[in-house]
Amino acid sequence: MNEEEKLMNVSGRSVMKRLLSYLNYHKGKVTFTLFVLLIATAADVLGPIVMKIFIDDYLTPRIFPVRPLILLAGAFLALYSISALFNYYQVISFQKIALAIIQRMRVEVFAKVQHLGLRFYDQTPGGSLVSRITNDTETIKDLYVTVLSTIVNSTVMMIGIFAGMFFLDVKLALICFILMPFLIVLMWVYRTLSSKIYRVTRIKLSQLNAKLNESLQGMAMIQAMRQEKRLRNEFGKINGDHKRAMLKSVRLNSLMLRSAVYSVYLLGLIMILGFFGIQSFDHVVKIGVLYAFINYLDRFFDPINQIMQQLTIFQQAMVSAERVFGLLDDERMAPVQQGSSNPKVEEGKVEFRNVTFSYDGKTDVLKNISFTANPGETVALVGHTGSGKSSIINLLMRFYPIEHGGVFIDGAPLTAYSDDELRTRIGLVLQDSFMFVGDVADNIRLSHEHISEKQIEEAAEFVQADRFINKLPNQYHEPVGERGATFSSGQRQLLSFARTMALSPKILVLDEATASVDTETEEAIQTALSKMRKGRTTIAIAHRLSTIQDADQILVLHRGEIVERGTHQELLQKGGLYFNMYQLQHGKGMEHVSSAQ
Amino acid sequence: MRIFIDLWWFFKQERLKYSLGVLFLMLSSFLSLIPPHVVGVLVDDIRTKSLTPVLLGKWILFLVIIGVIYYFTGFLWRQLIFGSSIILANQLRNDLYKHFTKLSPNFFQKRRIGDLMAHATNDVNAVQGAAGEGILTLVDSMTMGTMVIMTMSALISWKLTIITLLPMPIMVMLTMYYGALLHKRFGRAQAAFSDLNDKVQENVSGVRVIKAFGEEKAQIKMFQNASRDVVNKNIAVAKIDSLFDPTITFIVAICYFLALIFGAKYVVEGSMTIGGLTSFTLYLGQLVWPMLAFGFLFNIVERGSASYDRIRKLLAIKPEITDKKGASAKIPSGAVEYAIPRFHYPESAAEVLSDIQIKVEQGQTLGIVGKTGAGKTTLLRLLLREFDLQEGKLCIGGTSISDVTLEALRSAIGYVPQDHILFSATIAENIAFAKPEATREEIERVAKLASIHEDILHFKEGYETIVGERGVTLSGGQKQRISIARALLAHPEILIFDDSLSAVDARTEVSILQALKRERSNKTTLISAHRLSAVEHADLIIVLEEGKIIEQGTHEDLIEQHGWYAEMYAHQQLESLVSEGGQKA
Repeated sequence: MNEEEKLMNVSGRSVMKRLLSYLNYHKGKVTFTLFVLLIATAADVLGPIVMKIFIDDYLTPRIFPVRPLILLAGAFLALYSISALFNYYQVISFQKIALAIIQRMRVEVFAKVQHLGLRFYDQTPGGSLVSRITNDTETIKDLYVTVLSTIVNSTVMMIGIFAGMFFLDVKLALICFILMPFLIVLMWVYRTLSSKIYRVTRIKLSQLNAKLNESLQGMAMIQAMRQEKRLRNEFGKINGDHKRAMLKSVRLNSLMLRSAVYSVYLLGLIMILGFFGIQSFDHVVKIGVLYAFINYLDRFFDPINQIMQQLTIFQQAMVSAERVFGLLDDERMAPVQQGSSNPKVEEGKVEFRNVTFSYDGKTDVLKNISFTANPGETVALVGHTGSGKSSIINLLMRFYPIEHGGVFIDGAPLTAYSDDELRTRIGLVLQDSFMFVGDVADNIRLSHEHISEKQIEEAAEFVQADRFINKLPNQYHEPVGERGATFSSGQRQLLSFARTMALSPKILVLDEATASVDTETEEAIQTALSKMRKGRTTIAIAHRLSTIQDADQILVLHRGEIVERGTHQELLQKGGLYFNMYQLQHGKGMEHVSSAQ
Repeated sequence: MRIFIDLWWFFKQERLKYSLGVLFLMLSSFLSLIPPHVVGVLVDDIRTKSLTPVLLGKWILFLVIIGVIYYFTGFLWRQLIFGSSIILANQLRNDLYKHFTKLSPNFFQKRRIGDLMAHATNDVNAVQGAAGEGILTLVDSMTMGTMVIMTMSALISWKLTIITLLPMPIMVMLTMYYGALLHKRFGRAQAAFSDLNDKVQENVSGVRVIKAFGEEKAQIKMFQNASRDVVNKNIAVAKIDSLFDPTITFIVAICYFLALIFGAKYVVEGSMTIGGLTSFTLYLGQLVWPMLAFGFLFNIVERGSASYDRIRKLLAIKPEITDKKGASAKIPSGAVEYAIPRFHYPESAAEVLSDIQIKVEQGQTLGIVGKTGAGKTTLLRLLLREFDLQEGKLCIGGTSISDVTLEALRSAIGYVPQDHILFSATIAENIAFAKPEATREEIERVAKLASIHEDILHFKEGYETIVGERGVTLSGGQKQRISIARALLAHPEILIFDDSLSAVDARTEVSILQALKRERSNKTTLISAHRLSAVEHADLIIVLEEGKIIEQGTHEDLIEQHGWYAEMYAHQQLESLVSEGGQKA
């Protein structure tokens, strides 16, 4: 119901203020464009006056001096050329400003999201995040591009027309001003009523879509439970509600949009004709003025119609703007460097001291974890799902702030390092080897432009990824599609190794893949891994115990605590949890269980 | 224009509304021709000083009457035409939905839900546009344009009409040309936007890698470029879009110019009055819309027809699984018998099941185990007749499942699928999904059987708690147990558990299995599972591998055989030991 409730109560003013504040970045351009708009409008407004001069000064008295008439004709054409050109410039310029504003807002939101911590990502569904960065800003674009530009244009035009009217005949212009309260009341009533109906239609539409989406997803269930008829009725009911809401909005539009505006137009026409008619009883009436007034009246109502049609977009844009600003104001930032000592990772000694950690502030996923990995050593983390292995890695990567205890690298606290130092000196290899759209070389280099083609190839050779890369039609420039779907999971794994090795980090953080790959790739992966570990401090999550038998230290985790530690041999002799796990993986379960029984 | 023929059935169905709507629309157009004429007459009267207060009053009263009638006709045609187009959209959506409910699961596997949604929303909207705005622009561009031109030439001057209208075709051509350009550029802008969307999607899903490699700045730069591309493509759109208004204003100004120059000539010659000239220019203003409408019409019609074609194509798809002619409506009951030499899915030739011969007597429980992809789910879905067999037979109580109606077959079976699908409704409604009229006692009883009753009571709203996308988030185990309760409520002859106990803990599993045993004496149950404890007590257990039965028998038999089952069983025993932290032993 979130969406719907939000549609109900948008605190408009502050959101609007903040939206408009983006115009400040383009003050100069906005001012200039407004100036151009004024000229264009002036030219527009002057047109009927030229016609009036022609009718009153030349046509009515039937004098046709050649030169002044040519001048007048020239002026008329010049005015409309100016109006056309300046209006074109003005409209585009407003659009460009609007698009530049949206571009700025989008980049702001995106940049903000980049600096949010993983805690934020854990709590926000990816789909809705994407939609905020793109769709919501798109709706705001509509607000700027159509609504604001229409309103500015129309308002200036209306003011211009009134100026022209006052120039021609003050009294009549004042009388025409009587139309304004009618129009304002009409707009206000329409806005009030339409925003209500609009809200209802939006809600009904979102219910309709939700129902449809859910039914399509659960159709197998609906059919298995023979509920097709009932669901059809339910959908029919929602569809009917939606129809009724739409019909209401059609009725409102039929009542209050063009037909009603036309009535006000006729009222204006009657006033003008009445005014001149009454005047004609005892005065000479200037037909040209009458002509110009009628012409003005004709044009006056276009802007009104346009404004009224844009009113509903407004509502939606405010909701989107509120969501976007909510994201911009989010405070779940990623941990950043503290202090300015800028230590460097030289040796690669990693130390956890009494670290206790919780994602939600309630349940501790790590309890009092302490261990040291000396330079060049391998520390392996084992334990079943949920034991806290990944959390240790998350903390070492500084993905989450540490509240209790501390992590130290070469004796300096993790928080003291710069982002750059951490990201290039600690190499993380994730279970899910994420690939970016681009080519193979791009995926190894990422954004580190100092890495040469040669280094890329060396990194690939080092992890033996070169074998399959060289078989690709375009080798290092073979395109990588969405999520690297054209590569096998083993190949992706090797590519992500190469990506890590291209930076030649001092510390290696491995989250071993559980996914099974074919034996050939598996071998390549294992050889690559042991090569990579050489000379580097390695913190590794191992799912296959066989791969970590030579680790300098194995930490066995259970429910956030280190329950056993030691080398492979020491732990086996202990006959504890590690021993059981080892048995399990080596298919010796049966004997064990039967002996236990 | 074919769309209007295609939609003829609907125009016929709503013939009263459409004929009245078009009538009122034409009447409106006609009425709007009157005020300019009145203006012309009054201008001449004022000029010749022949206007009297009574006459002025009469004319004004006349305009008021015209205004009132116009307001009503304007209201009526909008109501009738736009209202009908909404009814059409409503009908199409219902038709599509009904059609979706008849299509087989295979269809939903092949089609992306997003696409299907798009048909029911965007395409329906485009057709609605053709039945609403399409009719409006068709009628207006045809009748109103003709009426205005006829009035201008009949009442004022046909010569002047021809002269002033000369620039108008240029306007129509230009706006149509802009329209085509705009369409192309708009497509590019859309593509750029969807590219941006993909990039953001990639960024969000790859967040860990991005953070680990310090890619944030590069990503921001990438995003800047992509969003600049969107801006550029949109500016290209704006450049065309902004041409419309100035072009129209300028060409109309030229028309005015011609009207004034030549009109003045006729006025001086005496073949026309100034009043006539005034109303002539007003008519000129009224010609703009029908001309534009002509351009819009093509656009609306084109979009509408493309969409309607897609909808029709979708509606033409025949369900793959249907009732056989003369199928019995009697709910089948009795032993379940599989005799399937081989089976493959319709799209691929790869055999997924081969040589399956099983008989499960009424009241017995069959356990199906094996690796992922071994064919367990396929075996169960065949019983639901989600696919038809190419060879062999599948019988319940000696009757082939294709000899009974789908309705009867489904009535006999309760199904708990692998992925638990709950609907946005209360928990009670979800449990009573197959039997909406169930009482609260019945609902609570099955909830207790499925060991979910206690959990439900813990929610603030109890059984009235809303679940699904918009409601509370349930754990996988809770969802599973709710779908178990849902399947139990109907007391089905045959109950299918497709790995439905995977997310519940061992203790709950035991209590659910015991409850089943008590509840379902004389009823048949088919359970597939990864965890062997779920099938341990089954009367018959089969082990599938690559679609073949490699072991079968009771738990004891299979342990004796020292095969896959026995090995797996020991393995899982140890696994549970490990996950308990080794404390249990």
